[in-house]
Amino acid sequence: MKKLSCLLFGLALAVLGGCASDPAPLEQMRLTEKAVQQARAVGADEHTAELMLAELKLAAARAAMNDEDFRQARLLSEQAELDARLAEARVLNAKSASQIAELNRSIERLRQQLGDLR
Amino acid sequence: MSRFRRQALICLLLGGLAGCANPDLEQQLSQAAESYTKVSSDTRIQRGAPKDVVRAGESLARAQRFAEFWGGAEDALHYSYLSLSYSEIARQHGTLLDNQQRIVQLQMERQRLRDMLRDARLLSAQQPGRWGDDQIISMAATETDRGLVMTLGDVLFRADSDELGREANRTLLKLAHFLELNPQRRVRIEGYTDSRGDADRNLALSKARAEAVAEVLTDLGIASQRIEIRGYGEAFPVAENASARGRAQNRRVEILFSDAQGELGPDR
Repeated sequence: MKKLSCLLFGLALAVLGGCASDPAPLEQMRLTEKAVQQARAVGADEHTAELMLAELKLAAARAAMNDEDFRQARLLSEQAELDARLAEARVLNAKSASQIAELNRSIERLRQQLGDLR
Repeated sequence: MSRFRRQALICLLLGGLAGCANPDLEQQLSQAAESYTKVSSDTRIQRGAPKDVVRAGESLARAQRFAEFWGGAEDALHYSYLSLSYSEIARQHGTLLDNQQRIVQLQMERQRLRDMLRDARLLSAQQPGRWGDDQIISMAATETDRGLVMTLGDVLFRADSDELGREANRTLLKLAHFLELNPQRRVRIEGYTDSRGDADRNLALSKARAEAVAEVLTDLGIASQRIEIRGYGEAFPVAENASARGRAQNRRVEILFSDAQGELGPDR
């Protein structure tokens, strides 16, 4: 009986120290690194607030990995992945908006030239 | 980074740890729910980013489950943050899809106008008694020690602006036609101003005017690789700046033509 309660106590401790049982989020870290690289590749930079946030969280996640605080590392890198993807989407949107503006200007000029010819 | 400082940062980044009482949780949860309702009922966004909408919904459900039990606040905050992010990403992709469709439409419209313009030009070239574009160019251009140069006068621009006036379009149309007929030729477009006013502003204006000319040429179908742009500001006047007449002559755009092999002379 004493043995059993001892075992139960040990089990409870293991459960309470739940952090330690979190597996290392290696795949998530890889995904996040990729998302940040991808955002950089489409032109996100220091002026993209979401990218800065993503890199800050990724750095903190790496440090948490070093400390084997895997739960914290997972939370941070999951958020960082989405921050980076949002940064990427915003940059792409800004690019398409300026492409539309340029096309509109060009169409306006062509219309004017056509008018002048007549 | 010290361990303590990192913990503080993490606390900040994750929006407060469990244990710190969190009045923000309710607010963030309802915000996430509201965003999700919006994106999931928008067919345009559903079409643009179906996976992200689904994940926004899944994360929201998780956040709501975690919020129900004691000690789940940190996870609830985390998943509501993820849900909000997925919703926002989905919204952005919906807009992106819209923009891309708009771009295709506008490109078609631009092509249609270019074709119309080309037809109109051919028609006017066929009218008898008119000079061919080749002859016009060779008349308007002068041979200099830098090569063949055509000068666009100040009158072609609105005063103190890089906006081209109506007269300019005719001239540039002819120039574009000439470049179409001589596909190996390249041009360097150089802007100049008089010496009145601020030198930096003049430099910017001269560059903007050269760019405006280049834009019209590219609109007319001349590849931008065939065009170089320079702004020289007040440098290299062709007349004295003391008189109004001299200043008007100095305000100009010069178009330098390459030789038949596409070689342009060196920058001045």
